[in-house]
Amino acid sequence: MFTSLIKAFTNLFKKPQTIDYPLTPILKDKEYRGLIEYGEASCIYCLKCEKACPPGSILFVPVENPPENEKNKKGLQYHYNPYLCIYCGECVRACPKPDEALWQSNKKPSIAIKSDKVNEDWFVLEKLKKEE
Amino acid sequence: MSKKTINIPLGSQHISLLEPVRFKFECENEKIITVDSDVGFVHRGIERACTTKFKFDAIGYVVARVCGLCAITHSLSYTAAIEKLLGGEITAKSKYLRILLLELDRIHSHMLCLSHTCENAGFEAMFMRIMGDRELVMEIQELLTGNRIQFDYISIGGVNRDISSEISKKIIANLYEVKQRALGYMDEFTNNWSLSLKFKGIGALSLDDAYMLNAIGPLARASGLNIDVRNEIEYLPFDEVGFKMQTHRDGDINARNLVRLNEIINSIEMCNNILEGLPEGAIFTKLKGKPKGEAVIRFEAPRGELMYYVKGNGTAMLERVRIKTPTFSCIPAFSHIFVGENYADAPAILASFDPCLSCTAK
Repeated sequence: MFTSLIKAFTNLFKKPQTIDYPLTPILKDKEYRGLIEYGEASCIYCLKCEKACPPGSILFVPVENPPENEKNKKGLQYHYNPYLCIYCGECVRACPKPDEALWQSNKKPSIAIKSDKVNEDWFVLEKLKKEE
Repeated sequence: MSKKTINIPLGSQHISLLEPVRFKFECENEKIITVDSDVGFVHRGIERACTTKFKFDAIGYVVARVCGLCAITHSLSYTAAIEKLLGGEITAKSKYLRILLLELDRIHSHMLCLSHTCENAGFEAMFMRIMGDRELVMEIQELLTGNRIQFDYISIGGVNRDISSEISKKIIANLYEVKQRALGYMDEFTNNWSLSLKFKGIGALSLDDAYMLNAIGPLARASGLNIDVRNEIEYLPFDEVGFKMQTHRDGDINARNLVRLNEIINSIEMCNNILEGLPEGAIFTKLKGKPKGEAVIRFEAPRGELMYYVKGNGTAMLERVRIKTPTFSCIPAFSHIFVGENYADAPAILASFDPCLSCTAK
């Protein structure tokens, strides 16, 4: 009884366990799994990441003005959907040139709003990929 | 005069429930006479998706989404089944790292269950305390795997990330803290009136009934049944890292809580043993080929035995993936325990089962 009273009293002056989020930033370890980032200049267009991705959030789709890269013979363009991605890092492990062509950062995606049309634009790309 | 009974439903949405489950109780005054249950409210068709939408190497990430709490056991069971079919041997280091994460997962899952038992006993402050302390475990899981809930740590052939010396230092420090807290809970759960005496004799399951009704996991161990898959399997070296069976004789809510607390302490010991004697070597071996044939794998999830059946036909798409989850196997025992108890005790009894409905309905 007495100890619990002391405990209750000292708890009054304890800091809360939660973080006052927008005011205090949350500590982020550099190893946390976040957005997948792409370096076009080093990419050899082997499409291994596209095949390895479990949810299919990386697509290489043929476009009219493809990025200038001598390895890119089919005229493909890299597309990545951060809202479909599960951040497992399977693509980075499949990549023959990790850290140069494809790597995982600890950033998080921006919040998608309706006017961004993230779904509609992605469905168009998926349709293009299927037709190919 | 014939006795009149009334039907009282609990769920599918109720303030004392964590996940949607419906129990229909037929009560005579306060006593429950018969129980009817429905568990399929969060069905997502994962088994079907595994055989139609995804290739076999991606399914480890799909089945991890069956349940947030025992995600690691699901992906581990599936990968172990595929490794059995492909016939490769994984490195010793990856085996130990798998056990490490499995045990960390068990610690945080048991802490969640204990906190909800406290909440349903009306002990809100203890609920907050355990949930706050659970963050210590969540923190190290996040450091180890890079994510808080969906670990995506296990892939076919090993594990995805290596452990550094700073991380293992942090794990040992945090687990020491958790152990001190867990010993404190042990005191609360045995001596505090609202957690121990109130729960003694409530929701009891006898040893014979536990055996007859196929109870598994902490529910069976609290009744004195020596059943733990970690004791029976060989593909992970549980006996080397100091696994000890935790049982109790009473079979009531208090016994279940104590079994869970003892398992937390045993898991912490196992984690410390793993980190002390972690072998050197690679964490990943590439396995080639396509799965052909059938494999059955069992693992001890935090709630009991989890069974995976995988059938492949030599192509990238599997023929069948069957998941038998612990809560599903325990439903006959659940229904049996409710009979004869007061309706007012039902939420507390239900919380002590630690049911996982998203696992059950998948």
